Amino acid sequence: MRPDGKLPPPHPSLAPLPQRPQQATGTDMDPHARLPDPVPSPILKHSPSISRSLRSAADTSSVTFAADFRSPSKPESTSPSFDSFRTARSRPSSVSRSSTRRSASERAGSQRDLRDEDARFVYINDAPRTNAPPAMFPDNSIRTSKYSVLTFIPRNLYEQFHRVAYIYFLILAVLNFVPQLLVLSKEAGVLPLAFVLGVTAVKDAYEDWRRHRSDKNENNRTASVLADGVFRPKRWKDIQVGDVVRLVANETLPCDMVLVSTSDPTGVAYIQTINLDGESNLKTRYAKQETMSTPPEALAGVIKCEKPNRNIYGFLATVDLNGRRAISLGTSNVMLRGCELKNTVWAIGVAVYTGRDTKVVLNSSGAPSKRSRLETHMNREIIALAVALVVLCSVVSLLAGIWMGDHVDQLGIIPFFHKYDYSGAAAHDDGRYNWYGTGAQVVFTFMSAVIQFQVMIPIGLIISMELIRVGQAYFMVQDNRMFDEKSQARFQCRALNINEDLGQIKYVFSDKTGTLTQNRMEFRCASVQGRDFSETDGGEEDGHAVQADGVVLRPKTAVTTDPKLAALLKDGMGAKASRARDLFLALATCNTIVPIVEDTVNPAAKLVEYQGESPDEQALVYAAAAYGHKLVERTSGHIVVDVFGTRQRFDVLGLHEFDSDRKRMSVIIGCPDKTIKLFVKGADSSMFGIIDKTLNPDVVQATEKHLHSYSSVGLRTLVIGVRELSQSEFQEWQMAYEKASTALLGRGNLLRSVAANIERNMRLLGASGVEDKLQDGVPEAIEKLREAGIKVWVLTGDKQETAISIGYSCKLLTRDMTQIVINSNSRESCRKSLDDAISMVNKLRSLSTDSQSRVPLALIIDGNSLVYIFDTDREEKLFEVAIACDVVLCCRVAPLQKAGIVDLIKKRTSDMTLAIGDGANDVSMIQMADVGIGISGQEGRQAVMASDFAMGQFRFLVPLLLVHGHWNYQRMSYMILYNFYRNATFVFVLFWYVLYTGYTLSTAINEWSSVLYSVVYTSAPTVIVAILDKDLSRRTLLKYPQLYGAGQREESYNLRLFIFIMVDSVWQSVVVFFIPYLAYKNSAIDSASLGDLWTLSVVILVNIHLAMDVIRWTWITHAVIWGSIVATWICVIIIDSIPTLPGFWAIYEVMGTALFWALLLAVIVVGMIPHFAAKAIREHFMPNDIQIAREMEKSQDSRDANQPEVQMSTSTRA
Amino acid sequence: MPAYSKFTQQELPACKPLLTPEIVIAAFALIGALFVPIGLASLHASRQVVELVHRYDASCVPVDDKVGFIQNSRTDKTCTVTMTVPKYMKSPIHVYYLIDGFYQNHRRYVRSRSDKQLRYKSAAHLTSDCVPEGDTADHAPIVPCGLVAWSLFNDTYTVRVNGVVTQVNKKDIAWKSDKNNKFGKNIYPSNFQKGRLIGGATLNESIPLSEQEDLIVWMRTAALPTFRKLYGRIEKDINANDNVTVVIQNNYNTYSFGGSKALVLSTASWIGGKNNFIGIAYLTIGGLCLSLAMGFLVLYMVKRRYVS
Repeated sequence: MRPDGKLPPPHPSLAPLPQRPQQATGTDMDPHARLPDPVPSPILKHSPSISRSLRSAADTSSVTFAADFRSPSKPESTSPSFDSFRTARSRPSSVSRSSTRRSASERAGSQRDLRDEDARFVYINDAPRTNAPPAMFPDNSIRTSKYSVLTFIPRNLYEQFHRVAYIYFLILAVLNFVPQLLVLSKEAGVLPLAFVLGVTAVKDAYEDWRRHRSDKNENNRTASVLADGVFRPKRWKDIQVGDVVRLVANETLPCDMVLVSTSDPTGVAYIQTINLDGESNLKTRYAKQETMSTPPEALAGVIKCEKPNRNIYGFLATVDLNGRRAISLGTSNVMLRGCELKNTVWAIGVAVYTGRDTKVVLNSSGAPSKRSRLETHMNREIIALAVALVVLCSVVSLLAGIWMGDHVDQLGIIPFFHKYDYSGAAAHDDGRYNWYGTGAQVVFTFMSAVIQFQVMIPIGLIISMELIRVGQAYFMVQDNRMFDEKSQARFQCRALNINEDLGQIKYVFSDKTGTLTQNRMEFRCASVQGRDFSETDGGEEDGHAVQADGVVLRPKTAVTTDPKLAALLKDGMGAKASRARDLFLALATCNTIVPIVEDTVNPAAKLVEYQGESPDEQALVYAAAAYGHKLVERTSGHIVVDVFGTRQRFDVLGLHEFDSDRKRMSVIIGCPDKTIKLFVKGADSSMFGIIDKTLNPDVVQATEKHLHSYSSVGLRTLVIGVRELSQSEFQEWQMAYEKASTALLGRGNLLRSVAANIERNMRLLGASGVEDKLQDGVPEAIEKLREAGIKVWVLTGDKQETAISIGYSCKLLTRDMTQIVINSNSRESCRKSLDDAISMVNKLRSLSTDSQSRVPLALIIDGNSLVYIFDTDREEKLFEVAIACDVVLCCRVAPLQKAGIVDLIKKRTSDMTLAIGDGANDVSMIQMADVGIGISGQEGRQAVMASDFAMGQFRFLVPLLLVHGHWNYQRMSYMILYNFYRNATFVFVLFWYVLYTGYTLSTAINEWSSVLYSVVYTSAPTVIVAILDKDLSRRTLLKYPQLYGAGQREESYNLRLFIFIMVDSVWQSVVVFFIPYLAYKNSAIDSASLGDLWTLSVVILVNIHLAMDVIRWTWITHAVIWGSIVATWICVIIIDSIPTLPGFWAIYEVMGTALFWALLLAVIVVGMIPHFAAKAIREHFMPNDIQIAREMEKSQDSRDANQPEVQMSTSTRA
Repeated sequence: MPAYSKFTQQELPACKPLLTPEIVIAAFALIGALFVPIGLASLHASRQVVELVHRYDASCVPVDDKVGFIQNSRTDKTCTVTMTVPKYMKSPIHVYYLIDGFYQNHRRYVRSRSDKQLRYKSAAHLTSDCVPEGDTADHAPIVPCGLVAWSLFNDTYTVRVNGVVTQVNKKDIAWKSDKNNKFGKNIYPSNFQKGRLIGGATLNESIPLSEQEDLIVWMRTAALPTFRKLYGRIEKDINANDNVTVVIQNNYNTYSFGGSKALVLSTASWIGGKNNFIGIAYLTIGGLCLSLAMGFLVLYMVKRRYVS
């Protein structure tokens, strides 16, 4: 410890300030120790911003001091622990769960020295030595592609056979090769599987080719790399570990590197990490003074760093510059691949991790995989079909056994059975031909039957569903109504297997900030010294430009000011005015905002942008600027604020960062007038405890009133307090702080108590109200969703009043609702209020039996109560209350609680849940829900990365669910049922024939046709129809949101429909088989001709069946359905033109007979009559909502056609 | 904003048909109106066809051990049947043999053939599919190989009309396409029917397969276990009440599997042979559709629902 106990200079390179304590003069001190490295500036922190933390209680606490507290005499020993401390506090709430776990272990690991065997040695500017064996680091090329030309086939096959269905078909294909079975010829036996594998492989190959292309682009970008003393451009892929790389502003980092020098004399470099963690604010990185002082060409030494890992918030290394003492390096000294250099002219770094070792690559993970509800239900029907398959096969083998038993004596001489091989030599008198006894023969028959009837379980379905989802996703992405103009962002389909779930959503769980609101904070009003200033009507939009060195600086965002307040601040005299000025000084200084100056087209004017992690702070700083307190410069040691045109320099003597336990932050400022002031800013709940109410009781009272009114109109409030510190108080604090910050154990708690010690007896200055504006169209969207029978739950970290007021403004809550509020501070009271809620629900339920007069209920519950409820297993009761309520509003909930609430519903009902959010705190909820939607907004991409779908605006939920969800569900349901039907029909036709072949598995239908049936003859229409058909127009669906109920009630896919369509399938197969059978009985018909007739009639019949159910006929639908029939015909003709097949020319012969055409017509008509009649009856006499809406739509269309002007106006509205 | 396109916005012009009562009734009525005449016409055509069927498998074997009788190569298997023609039969009169209970579609049977061997001379050795009638004991390939060819039908018919021998023309009984393209013109039978069990007819080894029309007809395997195959044509009209006497060489063994054999003489019409089924079916469907049309009409009248 420094003997004089004075504060070490935070930044010696800066001009000394008048009140700064005299600089320590110890000549024995290591000169580097005083250098700002690593400066624990608040700018560095990744800790949760205020806005974020207000909403989540799960953050780690942190207290930092904006000065170098490293012991000057022992930098090596303390710096690792310092690093680890920083790492610890920098654990962001936003890291995904796995990396949080990792960083925990790494934090523990970083406490000890980096052992040589766990380290990687990087020789600066000596790539050959660095990469010499045994190191063998990967080069910097990136491979997101999965396959190479050589590995494609084995790897792709390996991946595809992960599907159980494919294994089933593989087994059947292999079984077919057993000589006794050989049902299909070898080629035909493998064709279906090969086709499906082939289509998938082509799709994968195409996707991989695109990845290859983008990899190639990425790998061939250039960066300047030091070679022979000169920086030369080098392709990214050729950069090696140890290379020295030079970057200029706005360049993207090609690899992870340790910063060695920058254009800034203090070694600062700003980077944007949006590609890495989605945070759009700038982060600061530092070069070590030791490395800065050497020109890069002369740099030599070795960096010892940890092995590559996924933790983007941790880095542990030391650098040894040619024999000099090792200097420790931490996260603040590395720049990671994917980041962009900003506001820094140049920066030079040494590559430490390249290519697949870089953190961004290690962190990249694919979209989560979920299974759609429909697919799960589909498995139920697949099992039913499998049972049917087994039954069919058993029947065949049983009958075959009986037949053989009856004819057992004659089998030897029956010419078509020929049990013995008579042609053989005399020795093989009773040589058997393919005969293993009746029992074995029955088993073989069974297995052959499985092979023959395998399409009962539709193989094409899997691949069709994939193609359909790709097509549906294409149209969702292309939809202009889900295109966000503001961010120029399209809708994103990240998960490709739950499209149809969008049509069945029953519960929507929504985050508030950034999802319902824009998370673009706007300063609205202030309560200054008990006076409310919220009249901004007369005020002008004031950016408050200031002139400095002939350059006009203007804040990027202008704020409308209250003229009275502005006047008070500008010209006001007396204590009141100076307190008001203090308030805005507090707003300008008590934050972690960095002003970034941007050039404009006008060289004399520059824009100041306030970069920071908290949108609230940004809004407050912009407001302070508008009211004349303009933050111009911030370094770790001082802040320059332009106060009505005069620049004032404030020293940052100390800073207690925001943490969610204290719910406030404070800053100790050395003012130009040599006073020391402590500014505290925080949530009202935490601030009123530390405010000395005796100082100005009337102000306190008035402020409380104002706060209440602010939060009831939905504003986010913060309370600001001040205290002047005496020199002794400050020194006392400083001692305590240094002691705490160098303590080895429990540093966090010590620092917190230091903060608590000084943050007391505050004088209340006032409060601010910041508006988080609602996103466009949110109230309308919520109303539509509610009309559609979707329950919207809002889960927010905000306090109850704010949450309720937002609830009103977005029409979630209405005045006629009865509110049930549960906010309890203890287990007991929580139980009681829950019981009360239940009795209230029951009472209301018994009062109003008919749904018309039902009182709508709203449940408002806070995070604390949820904790108690989840702790005490009273979830059941909560669930009971919650489902009885129309609206549920959960306030002050932590991220994990959000997931818990989703789980509450998911576990207890079979209803589909959807979670929508924008921030990292929504990730767990998004992953928990059946469908997770990320809003790509202000708060980074964490939510988007975890989501299944991503979009720009909350209101897109309406077209997504009500239109696309409805369509996708309806189409996919029909497609699955239809697939079952068309394959079953074919199998039944085969089955009937088997009964007339002595129960042997031969077919009249050519084996190629039977193989092509499900993959070529009938598959294209199902795919196209399932992508393009629309039961109702977008306009109708949006106009009548109730139509969404069809999906919630599972109207398009259920057991009843399955049975119906299967009965139809049996009927049609009977018609297809028996009408020709009866006509051709006793005739000279050959099997090939009859087979061709059956093939064509099945294909035409199932296609007509589809055609009858198509609702919207576009030219594509026409082309594909009729084209399919024509294609089948052509295929049959081609197959019958091969002279070495037994059926040669049959189709030509049979098409020449009148009977063929007569039968074809009869089969189609008789086959379709039941379906047609049932459809006519159902649609006319038992119409469902969709049917009625279709009729309305049709009559609307014809009306539109008669009145073209009307159509114009309605279509623009739609 | 991305460019607007009707396709990407799923707004392609489309027709949205609805099953309105008018359409339903019209559809049923139309089908009825179409099917009834077709049914009448085909029924009429079918009734024009004169068909004589005479089963002879039982009557042509005088002994109880029918299999032993038929397998014995020394027994005289000549058998004479006499039929009286009920109606005038216009030439050509098709002579068929009708076999019942012979599963020509049996899986063991239908696959036992080599189509390559029938067409290409160089493929004579491709007999692997033909087991158990692929090769002879000394491994010479049988042409034509396989059970299908081996079991070639070998009854013969000699027809007398009113005591006058009438020529049964056995030319052009097979499909032209088979003769020209499926069965080779330069392929001659060899090693055929030389095994220990005789399946049926033997073939003249000096005639190429493309001219062996009986074989070609036989090898076009029947779709169903009861089938007829064309034996030949009588190109002479037969008057009503004429006596037709057929001398049958009853060689073919249908007794081993309990099958039956019959001789069929039939004229033809545009609908094929005698086939009342299709006419009755059409009439039934037509009638059903007409009554459905009526039914729907009544239903729609009774329970009217306005399409808003």
